[in-house]
Amino acid sequence: MRNGVRKLWALAPTLTLPRFAGEGIGVAVLVAYALLYASPYGLRVLTVAGVYALAAIGFQIVFGLGGALSLAHGAFFGIGAYATGILGSQWGLGFAATFPVSLLVPLLLALLVGLPVLRLESHYFALATLGIAQVVHLLAVNSPGLTGGANGLPGVPGIVLFGWAVPRGLPLAAAVWGFVALGGLVAWRLARGHWGRALTLVRDDPLAAGTLGLDVGGLRLAAFALSAVYAGAAGALAVHTQRVVSPEVLEFPVMVSVLTIAVVGGRGRVAGAILGAVLLLHLPEWFRFLERSYLIVYGVALLATIVLAPHGLTGLLDRLFPSRPAPLPEPAAPPETAIPTGPLLRVEGLTKGFGGVRAVDGVSLTLEAATITGLIGPNGSGKTTLVNLISGLETPDGGRVMMGNSDMAGQRPDRIARAGIARTFQAVSLPEGANVLAAVAAARLERDGSIALAEAHALWALERLGAADLAAKPCAGLPAALRRRVELARALARQPAVLLLDEPAAGLTDGEKAELAGHLRAIAATGTALLVVEHDMGFLLPLAGHVLCLDQGRPLYEGPPEGVRSDPAVVAAYLGEGV
Amino acid sequence: MRRFLSILSATVFSAAFSASLLPGAARAGEASVPVLVPLTGFLSLEGTSQRNGAVLALKDAPAGVAVRSEVIDTGTSPEAAVTALERAAGGKVTAVAASMLGTQMLAMLPLAQDYGIPLVTVSGTASITEQGNPWVFRFFPGDAVTKEAHARYVAEELGKKRPAVIYQTTAYGQSGKAHLEQAFKKLGVEPVFEEGVDPAAKDLLPVLTKALAAKPDVLVLHLHSGPTALFIRQAAANGVAVPIVAGSAMHQPSTAALLEPAELKGVCAETAASPISGGSPEVEAFTAAYRAAFNAEPDAFALGQYDGIRMVLAAVQAGAGTAEAVRKALSAGTHQGLAMTYRSDGKGNMAHSAVIVCYDGASRVPAIAKRYDNVTGVVTGMAK
Repeated sequence: MRNGVRKLWALAPTLTLPRFAGEGIGVAVLVAYALLYASPYGLRVLTVAGVYALAAIGFQIVFGLGGALSLAHGAFFGIGAYATGILGSQWGLGFAATFPVSLLVPLLLALLVGLPVLRLESHYFALATLGIAQVVHLLAVNSPGLTGGANGLPGVPGIVLFGWAVPRGLPLAAAVWGFVALGGLVAWRLARGHWGRALTLVRDDPLAAGTLGLDVGGLRLAAFALSAVYAGAAGALAVHTQRVVSPEVLEFPVMVSVLTIAVVGGRGRVAGAILGAVLLLHLPEWFRFLERSYLIVYGVALLATIVLAPHGLTGLLDRLFPSRPAPLPEPAAPPETAIPTGPLLRVEGLTKGFGGVRAVDGVSLTLEAATITGLIGPNGSGKTTLVNLISGLETPDGGRVMMGNSDMAGQRPDRIARAGIARTFQAVSLPEGANVLAAVAAARLERDGSIALAEAHALWALERLGAADLAAKPCAGLPAALRRRVELARALARQPAVLLLDEPAAGLTDGEKAELAGHLRAIAATGTALLVVEHDMGFLLPLAGHVLCLDQGRPLYEGPPEGVRSDPAVVAAYLGEGV
Repeated sequence: MRRFLSILSATVFSAAFSASLLPGAARAGEASVPVLVPLTGFLSLEGTSQRNGAVLALKDAPAGVAVRSEVIDTGTSPEAAVTALERAAGGKVTAVAASMLGTQMLAMLPLAQDYGIPLVTVSGTASITEQGNPWVFRFFPGDAVTKEAHARYVAEELGKKRPAVIYQTTAYGQSGKAHLEQAFKKLGVEPVFEEGVDPAAKDLLPVLTKALAAKPDVLVLHLHSGPTALFIRQAAANGVAVPIVAGSAMHQPSTAALLEPAELKGVCAETAASPISGGSPEVEAFTAAYRAAFNAEPDAFALGQYDGIRMVLAAVQAGAGTAEAVRKALSAGTHQGLAMTYRSDGKGNMAHSAVIVCYDGASRVPAIAKRYDNVTGVVTGMAK
């Protein structure tokens, strides 16, 4: 099946369009349909599609950009709906009062529940948010005094804008789509800016995002809360269009609809949310004449869409009508950061245990400016754990990690990164959907004022490593050596005082290792202190000025590289007896 | 297979029915009656009965009345129902056979009023006729009628004083529970146990156990079809001797089909009517026609919707040429239907009678144990 789809892709014609031409055509078609062709029924379906588009735009933020499968989105939709329903039908309040409350209540609830549930990993997070949705639904059904119970509340007033009661039909559709346009514009700007780029990195690799100075928890919480605002707004508009609020707005089909819209439209894309909503709300109407059988046709149509367009409809359109690529920026060196001389990082008595295993046991080391320190040891000796402890990915049980006079032990990775520590990973992790320039620019998001500036600085980092020609290439499919170089460029773009490299030469040829060694010496020459974890003694020993050898979490040897091969303990534990 | 045949029959019949309604027939009046009912979702069984009843009535239109119709699935969301009504309202509409789901009706009411379209429904949700909307007509006794019959049968006929009430946490369930409470209170009966059950619950033994712990002398159910069958099966499997008087869902042949006759022994239920139980040649003829058309058993929803659409068509035959004229005829007229005599109480409540049916344990066809006619006293010339 996959091969068949690939063949279809290959046959597809490619017509390069100016940027945003597709979006412009789509908007024009939608407006022309509403103004010239749509019946009251057509406008009604279009209005409901607008409501779901707004909800899906919000979902694109938390799910599409943030990668968090929040099944509470339907609940936030329903809470917004109930806020408007209760205040409008029971308290007699107008749109000007109810709409802000419908945004505020989901926001506050999202902030309240987001703190604990956002700590959970993928499917546990999804289950927790599903639980929230169930609780809210039960509350609505079982609080008839407030919510009208299972019957709900009729008599919700319509939208009133500046004293004008918006009538059904074209005005209501225009009002709803006005909110969609506003919400879409805000989401689009956020997605394309710092925040969206950062959130995407959090989705693709939260560990790397943290070590690049990004507050992963804060970004996730903000995405969760912002998506709740969109859901609340959509729920409020839904109630205004159907003039009654009932527990159906809190039921799982709403959530499933929004999720389907996001996936079919194209994950993470505002245009995808709109396209998906328009299609998915109209599709069942086109087949309504089939009575109950329409669901079969609807399901087949959805399945076909997902198979033929695995990246959604917007992905399909991008493939068929690719936009002209944006020109690369001029490389620009970031402002110089003064790296002090002398000891930059002091690790004192660091310990970490996992259950009964002491992975790091009383390790101390000092990294001096403009030096390269090698960290060696047999597999499982605690090298990567030590790097994780220093960079904040693991919390030490004891000991200190001193940067200047600050103890960074146990601090969040982003705080440690901002203090001047950068790192690479043993298994290179780059966002597969991004190109090299965007991947490296992610390192500058926390510092630079604009994406353009971040990319200019990223290109500078790539140039330093002789990899500028990779800038426009997608990260996916890069060979191992180039991936390591891109990751090094990303760490370099942080302008770190301390750079921790976890097996940077793994998988490289001798020529590539020699080239890498040259780059590392050049980086050290600027004042950066390097800690290099490596197994390849032929690569490391000529490079490092100082070596620390670990065994079972404890320091076994510390001294000049020349002493490594002659130290009997190192030979026995690491290099092997008789070597 | 039986369900498949039923669906196939309904589809074939609908297609034939639509074809028979092509323009060109001789006519004294013309009626356009879209059927907007839940064919999918948790109310699909009841919604299909509603559809079938409406379709059969339109097929049997009185002489000289040409009808146009289409069936649109409303699912179970208010949003889909409003969209379906908006779609139907695109043409000239005489009346709409409207969803039996209360929340859908509440959502459709403002639009029906805006467009001036009578909604003819069998929804039991009390609040749909309490909105002051003159365009709704309910051809199924509301909870005020059925729950009074329910409670009176329990208290007066069975002589029970300690009912345990188990209801559904849906609009249908909460509305019924509220009216049961009132009816029992009027009769001086205090339920010893009340609990709501989610329609998705897969095991009702916990609530049954809790109810029995309160030592009731009767179990009063107000559940949807599936949960009713599940509750009765679990009660039978556990040898529960306390009598069960269920809500209207039990009378549906599709509910009884989920149970063995022995499991039904002694179980009673309230309902508007039980066409398969017979009672008159006209009802028997309706049941035969229904079986022939849809390869399924009719229930009270089908009969109520049939009677409602027949009243609309009778009004058209009598000269009501517009939706407004039909509304007036429904508001002011009296119609002798198959299930009962219908007349509006001024709010659109047309049905004022209920029956209690009981199963003998030998078959799935219940017998009518007690009739409660004209409970509200609205139908003039008929004893309460």
